[in-house]
Amino acid sequence: MQRNSRSSSSGWIVAWIAAAILLASSLILAASDSAPDHIPSLVAWTPDTIAIASSGDAFRGLLLAKRCDHCHGAEGFSSTPSTPNLAGINKLAIWKQLEDFRTRKRLSHAMDPIAASLSPRDEADVVAYFSKLPVFTDPQDNRAFPEPRPEPAHAAIASRLVSFGDGERGIPPCQACHGPVAYRPGVPSLATQNTGYVLNQLEAFANRTRANDINEPMRTIAALLTEDERHALAEYYGSGLGLEPGGATGPK
Amino acid sequence: MNWRKLRTFLITVLLLSIIPATRYYQIDVPLLRLLRGSRSVDPLLLHLSGEFVENNLGTQQERDGSVTVRMIALQYLFIPHCILVPAGVPVHLRITSADAVHSLVFNDADYTVKVLPGTISQAELQFPRAGEYKTACREFCGAGHYAMRSELKVVPRAEFPALQPGERGNCAAQ
Repeated sequence: MQRNSRSSSSGWIVAWIAAAILLASSLILAASDSAPDHIPSLVAWTPDTIAIASSGDAFRGLLLAKRCDHCHGAEGFSSTPSTPNLAGINKLAIWKQLEDFRTRKRLSHAMDPIAASLSPRDEADVVAYFSKLPVFTDPQDNRAFPEPRPEPAHAAIASRLVSFGDGERGIPPCQACHGPVAYRPGVPSLATQNTGYVLNQLEAFANRTRANDINEPMRTIAALLTEDERHALAEYYGSGLGLEPGGATGPK
Repeated sequence: MNWRKLRTFLITVLLLSIIPATRYYQIDVPLLRLLRGSRSVDPLLLHLSGEFVENNLGTQQERDGSVTVRMIALQYLFIPHCILVPAGVPVHLRITSADAVHSLVFNDADYTVKVLPGTISQAELQFPRAGEYKTACREFCGAGHYAMRSELKVVPRAEFPALQPGERGNCAAQ
């Protein structure tokens, strides 16, 4: 009997605390004047997320990836300029985009239904497969780099931006995040990407039609670049200059 | 006799207290978080909720005429890239880092704000005259550190746009 009364009184205390918390949180919500939050991506690079994204089975991914061949190419090099090359792109980068397509943080007519049909395990497996595909290291190989080399003036603009950025305007060097100097979680390597895709994405970031970059680094940088610089960068990566020994430092 | 007992007791306490003192991450860090209270944030989750979601960054108009500026420093950018504040009013700066340690300096003004991941750095600033300040990172933060620069525009109070509640101002290229 005594026990019962004690537990019921502790129950009352819990109820009072819960009520107080509810009241306080509703007051805080009422006091804040901000509009609903714009959340760029539901992905956060916690150790758990990284473990999930890199736990895939590449062989199962190979079977699932048959349906990707049509656009992304059987060897991970796409034949259409608006579709990205996926061969050798690191796991976290592809995984984040699949996740963003699935949660509709990045919009694409082609990819939204495909990503929505994948289970979390499928996503990790497909990603593991594409990241293991060999990258063509020979820039003369036309399968990977169908683009002609850019004109020297354009190549010079691009290689300067890639290796040094532009300190005056506060543009960091591309290679500090997109490799080969350094990478961040979820940032793709660009050295084997195609011209059309790089250009499309730079323009989409600048117009903010693509807004799934966490803490908006790419929206900021793309908006700082001029039209000409965006073209030069796309041509630089698409023609394989990023892979050449002298490509990173630019023509002498 | 009593004195010896006391001495033994004190030595035991001293020796035992060495053990928790070596457990920095288990004891001190949670304790600091608790003491710091609202000044602690998770650098990996800034974009999901809380004060540093992207539509809350920039300049906020306060009721008393002062402004609050919220910024994120990340490798290798300050977000927003261009800060807009009115001249001659108190500016409450709140900045946090999404990754490494950064340090925000305003050239031509004697302000330096250390930016650490996991903490919100606060600074009370005031810019008496209109003008443009170059801001930069003065703590080596990685491969693109030297290009980590941004701008702060101080405009006369009359030219500062009237911000609605919930609206945040900045002068970054859109």
